[in-house]
Amino acid sequence: MPYHEFKCSECIPERKMHAVVKGPGEDITMALPLGYLNTIPGSISERGCAYCGAKHVIGTPMKDVIHLSHGPVGCTYDTWQTKRYISDNDNFQLKYTYASDVKEKNIVFGAEKMLKQNIIEAFKAFPKIKRMTLYQTCATALIGDDMNAIADEVMEEMPDVDIFVCNSPGFRGPSQSGGHHTINIAWIKDKVGQVEPKITSDYVINYVGEYNIQGDSEVMADYFRRMGIQVLSTFTGNGSYDDLRAMHRAQLNVLECARSAEYICNELRVRYGTPRLDIDGFGFEPLSNSLRKVAMFFGIEDRAQALIDEETARWKPELDWYKERLKGKKVCLWPGGSKLWHWANVIHEEMGVEVISVYTKFGHQGDMEKGISRCEEGALAIDDPNELESVEAMLSLKPDIIFTGKRPGEVAKKIRVPYLNAHAYHNGPWKGYEGWVRFARDIYNAIYSPIHQLSLLDISKDEIPTGNGFVTSGMIANAGLAEEVISAGDLRQYSGKYDCVSDLKNKIYPDFKKVTEE
Amino acid sequence: MDDIKGKIAQLEDYIMKKCLWQFNSRAWDRKDQNENILKISTLLLCEEHFIPETPADRCYWVEAVSLVDAFKNRYPWISALNKTEKKELMEALKERIDFLTITGSLNKELTDPLY
Ligand code: SF4
Repeated sequence: MPYHEFKCSECIPERKMHAVVKGPGEDITMALPLGYLNTIPGSISERGCAYCGAKHVIGTPMKDVIHLSHGPVGCTYDTWQTKRYISDNDNFQLKYTYASDVKEKNIVFGAEKMLKQNIIEAFKAFPKIKRMTLYQTCATALIGDDMNAIADEVMEEMPDVDIFVCNSPGFRGPSQSGGHHTINIAWIKDKVGQVEPKITSDYVINYVGEYNIQGDSEVMADYFRRMGIQVLSTFTGNGSYDDLRAMHRAQLNVLECARSAEYICNELRVRYGTPRLDIDGFGFEPLSNSLRKVAMFFGIEDRAQALIDEETARWKPELDWYKERLKGKKVCLWPGGSKLWHWANVIHEEMGVEVISVYTKFGHQGDMEKGISRCEEGALAIDDPNELESVEAMLSLKPDIIFTGKRPGEVAKKIRVPYLNAHAYHNGPWKGYEGWVRFARDIYNAIYSPIHQLSLLDISKDEIPTGNGFVTSGMIANAGLAEEVISAGDLRQYSGKYDCVSDLKNKIYPDFKKVTEE
Repeated sequence: MDDIKGKIAQLEDYIMKKCLWQFNSRAWDRKDQNENILKISTLLLCEEHFIPETPADRCYWVEAVSLVDAFKNRYPWISALNKTEKKELMEALKERIDFLTITGSLNKELTDPLY
């Protein structure tokens, strides 16, 4: 597997070891991009910082908590509007963003006093919320503010509140991944084991590494509940602070994003003997296998099979409608970490697209091992690309679409490549059976958008056709399809609702009687 | 010889594209996973008994059942092998998966002393 040198990065020779092309018959023992290293000076990375990984990715999806950053307001930029980890308590954690608003004078004279005032003020402003997470940032770490001492003082003065301190300033690690690690370990060390939960089922899991992007974890929790499995906690999407303090009581940790949350599963395994089962919640086949495995762990496979049959019958004809229209489309799969391996094989198999490149911003070499193994031959795999490399790759590979974050996504649009937001989604959830169809629909809408077709024309030099009439996505897509596919009666377009998550809140589940004593 | 290589390549392709258990992040952990899951898979494939006794065993067993089901569905030739052939095949498969994920792996994090 040859390493790939980008023309634009010839002046940064170290970059060559960060990209490879998967050649015919080659495997991951022949070449593997370096990963999880400090970004090379001169390479403008698209990564986030370790504070961002701890707070914006893992901490803040917890729903019943005041999330306060101790630092300048700028650190909290990535909150309003940019994150889409919703919650079933009216999105409290998304609606309010808190920072202690550190200024130059605090750097000189210290910011602890101000932090304490801020904490108390925030609790008073939201008297129903009794839980808080505090996040360290670069500036306050450098001046040595002792957040733990302040948190202890407040907890003594306000005995009904509980505060979690996360000491993961931006510089603590090469990327946001360092922050994932830090907050995982801090949570298990400081908080797990403090609450005894009410066990309502014979089958109890923690659902770990799942952040409820546009409702993903609510969809998965629905499946688990339909099988009579109690989801004791979700780490951390739509998760509750106190439920997460009770993680030690689950019988199984079902791990979705191993990149961001394997650490806590590994620790739970060592400290409490709870095993870890890695699953894939995306795509019909991987999801069905995953549900079957979780159920089999508890000896209730029949319940899983009934659910799988029902969901597959309902949604497969719709997935296949899109597959017919997406076959052969070239895709750059450029997410942050885990989606590169969650999706690399299944989008090829179930949607018919060709993954021509995978990249990861903050993945480790293990993520590349998984991603490269799962994609087809010829794919270009890149670790921590800079913007120029991404542009060079898009210009040479000519993808029909890329799946990436919003910053590189906007760059893609400028060179007329449609993009879908791989982190926050477009019209998610994308997890679950219906969600997977929604993902296919978003891809279809992006590739066949008439507006996108128009954007391919350059009004400064191209001849603009004026005689063409109105076109729709359907007309563009149908142009390349055989008549029998267009008229296939057993396939149909997505027929779900605009909002497929809210109704789950009021759903009544079968009452599987608990037989074992606590 | 070529025949067994071709067969192993098919099974390897399934594991590397569809499974996650072989990719835990430390070498010792991968060794445990490969050893246990493939050992139980061999027993199940040969219709021998395995009763999981601990929660960890149950996890290995669940992965093994799922793997063996997939092998039987996708590669009908596997059911036509006799017990000795199945054992030889699975032994060679384990060697290959160990090579890909542990001994031949270029992942520098595998030997990180943490965990
Ligand atoms: S790198 Fe430091 S200053 Fe910048 S956002 Fe992260 S914590 Fe804040």
